[in-house]
Amino acid sequence: MSPHATDDALVAAARAGSSVAFARLVDRHQQPLRAFLRRTCGDWSLADDLAQETFLTAWSRLGSLKSGASVRAWLCGIGYRKHLTAARTRGRNRVREAAWLAERPPSIAPMSDERMTLETVMADLPLDQRACVALCLAADFSHAEAAETLGLPLGTVKSHVTRGRARLLEALGDDNDGR
Amino acid sequence: MTDADERLRTLFAEDAPPERDLFFSAEVMSALARRRFLENLAYLAGLALLGGVALWGAWPMIAPLLSVASPALAPVAAALTLAAVAVTMLGRPVAAMLGLES
Repeated sequence: MSPHATDDALVAAARAGSSVAFARLVDRHQQPLRAFLRRTCGDWSLADDLAQETFLTAWSRLGSLKSGASVRAWLCGIGYRKHLTAARTRGRNRVREAAWLAERPPSIAPMSDERMTLETVMADLPLDQRACVALCLAADFSHAEAAETLGLPLGTVKSHVTRGRARLLEALGDDNDGR
Repeated sequence: MTDADERLRTLFAEDAPPERDLFFSAEVMSALARRRFLENLAYLAGLALLGGVALWGAWPMIAPLLSVASPALAPVAAALTLAAVAVTMLGRPVAAMLGLES
């Protein structure tokens, strides 16, 4: 059975009210969703909170998911919109956030220099560019899938990915021709 | 995929959460259970409020009927209440005694 077929069956069961089916959907998709949000937010704890809210919203909107659509892309889309809302709210408290970011402990895993560089450059990218990079370079989303997930035009996604990739590789001291 | 893309993907993969995270899944499901409980509570509270308002509105019509019917209905209501209590309290032990409960 293909992953899509499994997801379709689980979504149908969850729509009928099965918590067990929804728990399996959470199990199957928590990793890609949390990874995407971690890369987009940069803050693991906030990313996990957003992921949890995303699943709660998904539960109440299961009816709007089209049959055969990618559950992973749908969840990432909800998570991205939640992140945008959270970022807007945080924007109002930018000074307080800057102080908090300076004091926050580093991510749980010890980081190599390369990882730290990657995280710093990712944090510097504009939000939608970061999201495009997180989907297309870190996860295996196609440009079209990312465009649909983020609600951006396909051309914008392509240029965001190209620019983001160039900046990351430049910071990592890699030549940009892919060799 | 180029070497550079592969390198980026490997670096990105270092911060990926575990494929299975029972703690996270349990947190989500318990938050969902809380939300559903609150939704049910709100729904039932709404129904109760609606019923209360309907009863309040209809009370002038119901009250005279009740006062006429209550002498006849009171013994029946008392008997039904007693029967309901008896079934609730004794039903299970009796069913178990008769071997009707699985």
